[in-house]
Amino acid sequence: MAASASTERPTVSGREIVLTRLLDAPRELVFDAFTRPEHLKEWWGPEGFTNTIQEMDVRPGGDFRLVMHGPDGRDYRNHMVFVEVLRPERIVFKHVPGPDTEPVSHETTILFVARGAKTELTMRLAFSTAGALQKMVHDYRADDGMVQTLGRLAGYVEGKTVL
Amino acid sequence: MTPDRLSTTLSALADPTRRAILARLARGQAGVGALAEPFAMSLPAVSKHLKVLERAGLITRGREAQWRPCRLRAGPLREVADWVERYRQFWEGSLDRLQDYLHAVQGKEKKKNGRQRKH
Repeated sequence: MAASASTERPTVSGREIVLTRLLDAPRELVFDAFTRPEHLKEWWGPEGFTNTIQEMDVRPGGDFRLVMHGPDGRDYRNHMVFVEVLRPERIVFKHVPGPDTEPVSHETTILFVARGAKTELTMRLAFSTAGALQKMVHDYRADDGMVQTLGRLAGYVEGKTVL
Repeated sequence: MTPDRLSTTLSALADPTRRAILARLARGQAGVGALAEPFAMSLPAVSKHLKVLERAGLITRGREAQWRPCRLRAGPLREVADWVERYRQFWEGSLDRLQDYLHAVQGKEKKKNGRQRKH
């Protein structure tokens, strides 16, 4: 995958994973791209994914249900609940694990900061519990050598690769 | 195994000395003395780091020998690394597409009526 020049490596600190990105668009537009279903369904998910938005009630406590259709034909159901919506500065949503959704419980905070005509996006992912995580990673467990795994982790933590 | 193990693992990894200790242990087991050597640190200081790593389940310490060799435990590290990698891939991919989409939308809107955004 071609790494994007405008994305910094994610960093890990405490219980958070942080990722930043400079987007070439004004802040209100970027914010709307995250909060309007007709925008969001066009870009959510990696290359090759399409989306069906079942429900998107953009206000605190509102449900956000979305099915991602993977290029492999698999459907990935997501259920999120908005915690905070402050246009055009901030969105917070919780991922709700369920029987037919991805079994992961965490909270994502997205901050939108105007940088001239561009927008700096900061995504903070905070885990509430790790119980669900184990279940989740079980399916995706890589069989890497320990040194490579450590190298990747150290890279995330320090923002650079050290091993 | 506590329910909040991921947080514990992440906290344990937040310290560069502890990551260096893990990197050393990735090459094989070692005792406190050998681990302390490259850091110009006292043995008690290294022992403190080892306790944090042990609590996070990242290492185990032998009981059998007097030097109590430390060994790396792979599980929690893999879980965190896999998770972070998945998260990164998801958002890198999504934000690439978002940027393309934003360019397209701005191009369209400019062509139509010259304005950048509504509201």
